[in-house]
Amino acid sequence: MSTLIVVDQAPYGSWAGREALDMTLSLAAFDQPAALLFIGAGVNWLRQQQAPEGIGQKSLEKNLSAAPIFGVETIMASASDCQRYGLTDANTLAGVVTVDDTKAAMAGYEQVAFAG
Amino acid sequence: MSTTLSYTLVITGAPWASQAPQSALAVARELIQANHRIDRVFLYGEGIHLASALSTPPSDERNWPREWSEFLAEHSIPAVACVASALRRGLVNDAEQARYELPASNLRAPFEIAGLGEWVEGTMKSDRVLYFHGSI
Repeated sequence: MSTLIVVDQAPYGSWAGREALDMTLSLAAFDQPAALLFIGAGVNWLRQQQAPEGIGQKSLEKNLSAAPIFGVETIMASASDCQRYGLTDANTLAGVVTVDDTKAAMAGYEQVAFAG
Repeated sequence: MSTTLSYTLVITGAPWASQAPQSALAVARELIQANHRIDRVFLYGEGIHLASALSTPPSDERNWPREWSEFLAEHSIPAVACVASALRRGLVNDAEQARYELPASNLRAPFEIAGLGEWVEGTMKSDRVLYFHGSI
């Protein structure tokens, strides 16, 4: 059963995205195929050099970088939303696949769940 | 002849902050009515507030935690609050109270506290997984 978790909210403003990442890692820990798709303001998760120490939070960038090690197969982002938020190859985390058609990307998974 | 399906319901919106628990309960009642099976209810994120034994709305308002408890007990449906979500937000059972030396516990029966593995099992075994989110 392959599952795609979609994150559409900016990082740090709520715990929903962080908890969605935990869900994804948990699937991978149980050897279930899992992938992430970032859309809308959610693409800001993928920005390099996040510095959340100033607001007393742990870096999501670190958690996200570790996702492939824990078996999360694919990290995707909407190409148009990346462009909208000024994310380029130069300032985006390594290994992110940009997709032009998010609907088609979602269709490739048996289950799709949004972060709360 | 209709087909019977099994469901896992995931609630991530809190009562009173969102309509998620109420919507989920309405769907759950219809599922049972239509002879479908609910494998498990999984509370995650803000949804864990539904399992608080201490919620006390005014007497002329619906008490969603109590209504959910009664529904779960009546139909013997397992319900689990995610342990990481619960501990962050101050929802604990007796075991967690002892482990973290807290002054009280407040988990409402028949809810239990367990890990995300319970949700993973739902995605693997249930025919359908439905998500009830709060405001986005």
